[in-house]
Amino acid sequence: MKFETAPDVAEYVKKEIYPDGLEYVPLRENRVIVKVAPGDLTKVAELFVKKFEARLIHATAVDLELKGFEVLHIYDFSKFKDRLVVIVKAIVDKDSPEFPSIANITWQATWAEREMKELLGVKPSGMPDPRHQFLPHEWPNPVESGSIPEGYKFDGSTTAKEMYLPLRMPIEEAYQTLIPIGPYHPGVIEGQIVYVKVEGEQVVAADIKTGFHHRGIMKLIERRGYNKGAFLAERVCGICSAAHGLAYITCTENLYESEVPERALYIRTLLAELNRMHSHLLWVGVVADVIGWKTGFMLTWGLRERVMDIIEAITGNRVNYGIWRMGGVSRDVPQELAEKAKRTVDALREECAKLLLLVADHPVVKSRLIGVGPLTRAQAYDGGAVGPVARASDWKIDVRIDNPPHAIYDPKVISWEVITDDHCDTFGRTLVRVKELLVSCSIVSQCLEYLAKTTGDIRIKPKTVPLGAEAVGLNEAPRGELAYYIRASDKDSSLPHTVRIRTPSYRNNAIIPLMLVGSNLADVPVVMGSTDQCLACTDRLEVIDNRDGGRKILTWDQLVNLSRRASRW
Amino acid sequence: MVDLIFTVISLIVIVPLALFLGVIYSYLLRKLSARFQWRVGPMLRMYGDLKPLLGTTRLLQPLYDILKLYGKETIVPDVSRRRLFVYSPFLSLFFAVAAIFFIPFPGMPLLSGVPYSLIIASYLLIASILFTILGPVASGSPWAAIGARREVELFLVSELGFVLSLFAVAIARQSLVIWEISSGGQSLYLALLTVTAGALMFVAMLGKLHIKPFDMPEAEAEIVAGPYTEYSGKLLGTYYLTKVFLLYGLVALFISLFLPPIATDVLWLPLYIVAAVVLVFLLTSVQVLNPRYRIRNAINWYLKVAIPLGVLNFIIALAIWLVV
Amino acid sequence: MSTEIKILKQVLSKYSKPMTLTYPSGVAPDRRYSQIPEGLRGIPERDKDKCIGCRACYFVCSGRATSIYDKGEKRTVEIFLFRCTFCAHCQEACPEEAIKMTNKFEIAVPNREDPAARVLTELDLLKCKNCGTPYVTRKLVDRTYERLMEKIDPIVKETVSNDYKKLDGYCPDCRRAYGVDLDTHTKKYVWLEGV
Repeated sequence: MKFETAPDVAEYVKKEIYPDGLEYVPLRENRVIVKVAPGDLTKVAELFVKKFEARLIHATAVDLELKGFEVLHIYDFSKFKDRLVVIVKAIVDKDSPEFPSIANITWQATWAEREMKELLGVKPSGMPDPRHQFLPHEWPNPVESGSIPEGYKFDGSTTAKEMYLPLRMPIEEAYQTLIPIGPYHPGVIEGQIVYVKVEGEQVVAADIKTGFHHRGIMKLIERRGYNKGAFLAERVCGICSAAHGLAYITCTENLYESEVPERALYIRTLLAELNRMHSHLLWVGVVADVIGWKTGFMLTWGLRERVMDIIEAITGNRVNYGIWRMGGVSRDVPQELAEKAKRTVDALREECAKLLLLVADHPVVKSRLIGVGPLTRAQAYDGGAVGPVARASDWKIDVRIDNPPHAIYDPKVISWEVITDDHCDTFGRTLVRVKELLVSCSIVSQCLEYLAKTTGDIRIKPKTVPLGAEAVGLNEAPRGELAYYIRASDKDSSLPHTVRIRTPSYRNNAIIPLMLVGSNLADVPVVMGSTDQCLACTDRLEVIDNRDGGRKILTWDQLVNLSRRASRW
Repeated sequence: MVDLIFTVISLIVIVPLALFLGVIYSYLLRKLSARFQWRVGPMLRMYGDLKPLLGTTRLLQPLYDILKLYGKETIVPDVSRRRLFVYSPFLSLFFAVAAIFFIPFPGMPLLSGVPYSLIIASYLLIASILFTILGPVASGSPWAAIGARREVELFLVSELGFVLSLFAVAIARQSLVIWEISSGGQSLYLALLTVTAGALMFVAMLGKLHIKPFDMPEAEAEIVAGPYTEYSGKLLGTYYLTKVFLLYGLVALFISLFLPPIATDVLWLPLYIVAAVVLVFLLTSVQVLNPRYRIRNAINWYLKVAIPLGVLNFIIALAIWLVV
Repeated sequence: MSTEIKILKQVLSKYSKPMTLTYPSGVAPDRRYSQIPEGLRGIPERDKDKCIGCRACYFVCSGRATSIYDKGEKRTVEIFLFRCTFCAHCQEACPEEAIKMTNKFEIAVPNREDPAARVLTELDLLKCKNCGTPYVTRKLVDRTYERLMEKIDPIVKETVSNDYKKLDGYCPDCRRAYGVDLDTHTKKYVWLEGV
């Protein structure tokens, strides 16, 4: 199957959306670049966000070496025209990389601009929250050299330290307690700190700090090339690895005139939805665990194990499937296996429906979830919520319908629907996920039916990626919209120049403090869990190179000695 | 003289016996909840090829866990009030063991025949729980502070139900001596009281033992380990040992007060064990079927259930006293 | 209360048996095993007789687990399993179909220097006829020749074949040094094209 591009999409953008751009460049599959002057960025943002209600997908910057920095704001316009994504570009000077911040216009851009500042050293001026995103708060500001300047001392004079050290809280606030939830806390397995100020058990203020496992995965893909990048992309997150693989492949296939066999598209959908099933089951289990219900945790994870078994039989692996290839997939699903898996999935669907709706009907579960972590539709839009969090606030966005990835999600071919809910709280998020799980079951069942009946190619050799091409790939991960931006290198057709990943948790984590204020301390882990936060996604990968001469490799005896020394008492 | 020697010997015997039974009850709690959750739990009979490595049975697994803690390093935080922090677990254990001396076991009246033994036993149980609050408060950790605060709130409401049910029985049987209550006869009216006051006592036990809807003092997802956050090694092991004794003590108290005359004669021992297992099974099923309440919900629930039930008990008890 | 009873029923119904399975690859007779699926992608296995030491797997390896190095008269092709991602790229790329993914999965060893943590293949290197330096495997030379002959332009086929045989056994340095003596200079292809 080939992916179409509307021929007049650039003219459409010029005529209907923004007429004053310097240049309009159409890309494949209805992506349009609009080049503007750096000063106009706020004007454009105001127009897009306020008038068109376009979602900001990501804001980032690209280092163009001598030419300067290219600031990108990627907006989703799929409401106006099928699959339309507008990339607003402005080139800023290398010597004084300043441009106006748009975070004052929409909260969606705050984290993105903080990250941009850290990754490239550009200076968005007038940011409402200029603290560090991934680096420690007390790190020297601004980051230019990438290392601590000589003679610098951590004197604790920064605002961050004053704000966070509980011992320095002024005496007038002694009735409050400052509680750091994290970086290592049993309620949240991964590393992050949520600072909550409580009066008794009531939360009066909250703040979040991430960056405890930033792993530089985007830079790694830039060095490894397109083919090996798929495996790295999968390893951004262990739970939504299929979503990452699909988004990455969608993005790289967008770079060239791609063609994918239909059977491969079905296999991709199958895997992405199986992935969503196990992710949502996992989430229900985690929330049950967080509210202290070990039985709910065990039961849902018991069901999840059977989904994992299907995935393992289909791809050969449980977590990172490793079947994503440009131009198709690497493994076929044999017809007998498809039939067998279909029977399992159908049985599973009934059990899930029975069990999960019972869980959602439990009186104590209800009393712990209803009204917790409220988020209205307007707040969700302004904060930039994505995925089930947005849908539970009655905001119908789903990338699979709006801007589908390179897989089969056409409602004419596969019958499915987008689930929304108007509870606007954690209970709503639970219901959305439970129902979505059942929808995923039916999609999987339909895919397996197709795969059991037909045969065909699963892979077409990809063409060479043109130099300097650009693409945006989107996919609906279990946690929400996942976006990849790739710019191909100008010199080497096997290497990308820039890779940027915007994960769903990145957005949903940014609004956690909004949801926390006013809630009970007992609800803090529930609210944090309700966004299904995945900090591995937020922070992205780390690598240890064992060939590096600098790293010491310990022998067995040394290791034993070390651990003995550590555990002596 | 013979009585005195017998009492002294039985006091010496009851401590390891209570520990053993408490460990078995804890094992049952763990095993049953595991089976409810589609897990295996601690093995009653080990797999064949693991026997040389792990032994034939893991029936005493809760005890092994505690013994393991005794072999670990104990850390006392600098900011803590050291004396209170270190002594609290031992005092808590002491009071729990002391409480056990006043609760009869089939064939062993122990000290339950002394005057006012019901009041002494309930005070000793309160004292034991009090020291699980005082020690953590002395540790200086915010998690422990919040956990201890929750523990106090929960303790106040659950104690209300506990005391109401105890005294309903005491009024109906016109005695404050546990031995007299537990060796008394049964009648239809007393059986009715057994059901209502027993239900109240059961509900209070949930709070005292931190069974699931009421385990917010130890809510690990919210406040790490709650009161026990700063405890480690031997001190933590002592607290866990206290819990084992408390579990035995409360089960024994329940049986001796509400199911007389099971806890009196040695011939009743099989029935005693059956009753204890049924009680532990009920505790387990409440444990596995419920998520944790917020502390406010829990207090509301106790006030809604415990007070009306307590008043009802009093009315029934008074009626039995006056009419029968 | 009714919901709780329903959940209790559900819990005690069909799946009241433990779902926990013992470790999948045990050997004791009285244990149940969780099954290992047919298509599990586990440790890659290399057929020593088929491998020609061509480095194709080295170039495509997505985790950079494969390395190839010459030591003395041996060429070692190695996959370091602690880094292997089991992506099967090497299986796809291998021109000789020497690599196959198996469904073995136990790679844990106490020491990272342990040979069990590696898939090692040692190949004999061919020595240069002239200077005695080991430089390439015999099979690589032969397979390259076969593949070359399949696809080559018939005009130059004979010449290339002759040259190949003359050069066979000389290391790259010696080929350069004795190119004129052996009459294998590439300039003659220009004349051939002229024909």
